[in-house]
Amino acid sequence: MTDALVCQDLTKRFDHHLAVDSISLTIARGEAYGLLGPNGAGKTTTISMLSGLLRPDAGSVHVAGHALAQDPRAAKARIGYVPQEIALYPELTGRENLRYFGRLYGLARRALQYRIAEVLDLVGLTGRADDKVGDYSGGMQRRINIGAALLHEPTLLILDEPTVGVDPQSRNAILEGVDELVAGGMSLLYTSHYMEEVERVCQRVGIIDKGRLVAEGTKRELVSRLGTSDRVELVLDGDLTAAADKLRAVAGVTEAVPTGTSSLRLLAEGSRHLLPTFIGAVEGVATITGVEITEPDLEAAFLHLTGSTLRD
Amino acid sequence: MIRSLLVVSGHELRSRLRDGTALLLALVAPVALASLFGLALGGEDPPLRASIGIVDLDGGEFPTSVRREALATDELRDVLTLRDYDDEDQAGVAVDDGEIGAAIVFPPGFSDSVGAGEGGEVTVLTSDSTPLAGVIANSMVDQISALVEARTLAVRASLDAGVPADEVRLFVEENGAAGPTLTLDADPMAGGKVDGAVHYASGMAVLFAYLVVSTSTRGLLTDRQLGTLSRLRVAPVPRWTPVVGKGIVGFLLAMTSVCATWASSVLFFGLSWGDPLAVLALCGAHVLAATAITMLVAGNARTDAQADGYNLGIAFASGILGGSLVPLHALPDFLQALALFTPNGWTSTGLAGLAAGGDLASVAGPIGVVCLIAVVAGSLAALRFRKGLLG
Repeated sequence: MTDALVCQDLTKRFDHHLAVDSISLTIARGEAYGLLGPNGAGKTTTISMLSGLLRPDAGSVHVAGHALAQDPRAAKARIGYVPQEIALYPELTGRENLRYFGRLYGLARRALQYRIAEVLDLVGLTGRADDKVGDYSGGMQRRINIGAALLHEPTLLILDEPTVGVDPQSRNAILEGVDELVAGGMSLLYTSHYMEEVERVCQRVGIIDKGRLVAEGTKRELVSRLGTSDRVELVLDGDLTAAADKLRAVAGVTEAVPTGTSSLRLLAEGSRHLLPTFIGAVEGVATITGVEITEPDLEAAFLHLTGSTLRD
Repeated sequence: MIRSLLVVSGHELRSRLRDGTALLLALVAPVALASLFGLALGGEDPPLRASIGIVDLDGGEFPTSVRREALATDELRDVLTLRDYDDEDQAGVAVDDGEIGAAIVFPPGFSDSVGAGEGGEVTVLTSDSTPLAGVIANSMVDQISALVEARTLAVRASLDAGVPADEVRLFVEENGAAGPTLTLDADPMAGGKVDGAVHYASGMAVLFAYLVVSTSTRGLLTDRQLGTLSRLRVAPVPRWTPVVGKGIVGFLLAMTSVCATWASSVLFFGLSWGDPLAVLALCGAHVLAATAITMLVAGNARTDAQADGYNLGIAFASGILGGSLVPLHALPDFLQALALFTPNGWTSTGLAGLAAGGDLASVAGPIGVVCLIAVVAGSLAALRFRKGLLG
């Protein structure tokens, strides 16, 4: 069976800005893939090209074996796209919205009615199906927004930050729905600003930065790139540059980088035992006033690879 | 392709019909305003003007008589201005420059030829931009032709009956001393009067057609703001489906609006806009141009509110310049020249010509120009869409 998504050397340039630079990735059938990156990294541009919204300058996209450029209708028929913003008609009811978008995917009357009922049940909105979407809560709108992309039972579901701006209860309901889809064998491309969502939903993660896919793998594979190093945030008074130089000389410290006017970030093995050594090392050039130690996780891997946090 | 177009058009149509303001704009407002003008101006004679050039290469009785009869006719006295030109080229240049609307050329020996029973032909020079003058000139020539034919027949019959040619010629000269008994129809604009009510009814129809179309094409921007355009674009439908789907609905609603205004002026006030087929063709071309222009606006505006502003400005500017609100002849010359750049200018001129008795052929020029405007605006809109909304 062909992979759900294969893209090769995807490139997009806006005037002189290279937004996406030769990105290649593959999503197997039934696999959930998370795409992470700081703001402006090229996630939205990549997703726009993968879903057919934007034409790439170079590269190719195949969805379930169908080339998006050469056979767009067949490829698009296998994609379900959930945009970041609510993309529905507020003056229409939930059912009317689903009916319209279902018809665009060629669903016939009886099959459409059946699928609408199924999708409404899946997103938990059967009881509100005939209310106007404009009268829904933010969470309900998010859920019907996802539902509109599921009517035609796509091979690949692309979710672009589907939980932005929703309350914890709705967020949980959305994630449970997504879990259900993944369990049902649907392939997923998922982007989010919430690392824990990606960790929960996705089996593999790609990290994109400055338009390039800088790392890709399972959570375990990505975290292992950090080795066993902890991430240590130090708050200091004094000469940060001199302090960083002295800390780099400490055995077990692999990295010491100023991250602000009074903070340094270290990568160090066995950092809990090294704290007295750190204090002694900077003596004379700075004073440590605060310490935060984080053990290796996906967030740390992301920070290590991109130099910024996900919400920067 | 057809199925997806039907889905998008059906959705657009339902949205427009749900929206009370669309119906107000498409039916209530133009019909009400046309009715208002009908009540205020019904039956009034036309404030129309036409300048026609005369090229008299004959120097005989016919041209003199035509000039005299035309200016003696009550209906034409205040409408018609005749100007003399030395030759056909000079008259042609005057027509092209808009100095006169049409010209009648009498060839050398025309009167003698008719007097000898050999018939004769006059040439009419017309301009697409002034069909009314063309209609009047052609009407005059029709009258001349009928007279020439009758006289030729009479002369030939006399000759065939054995009357010597010299006697026939003498008879014609004696009886034609005061010129031919040419009688121009008191109302050469057959097919109905071009009165103020017709002008304003058709003007309102043309003006509101643009506004009606714009409500659909702006929907592209509304869809972009709602994010639903993205859903349409990722769906397995041809790329142009949203644009074409909305354009079709805008076109049909605008044509419905035009026809409703037309029907109401016919049914309530007994007005005639002229040859129905020609009116339909001209209005169809106008609505097509309006659709293309509003698409161009949609391609350039950032929001639907901005598009509304642009469309209102364009509708009223081209409405005023193009004679939909104020008759073209009432505008200064430079504004009349500007009217040629608006579809309204060509449509209003064409409709005036049709109301004055013109037929489909007489408005072929205006229809062609309006279609050309549609093609140019549509092409520019397509380029904008490729880089913007559909890029």
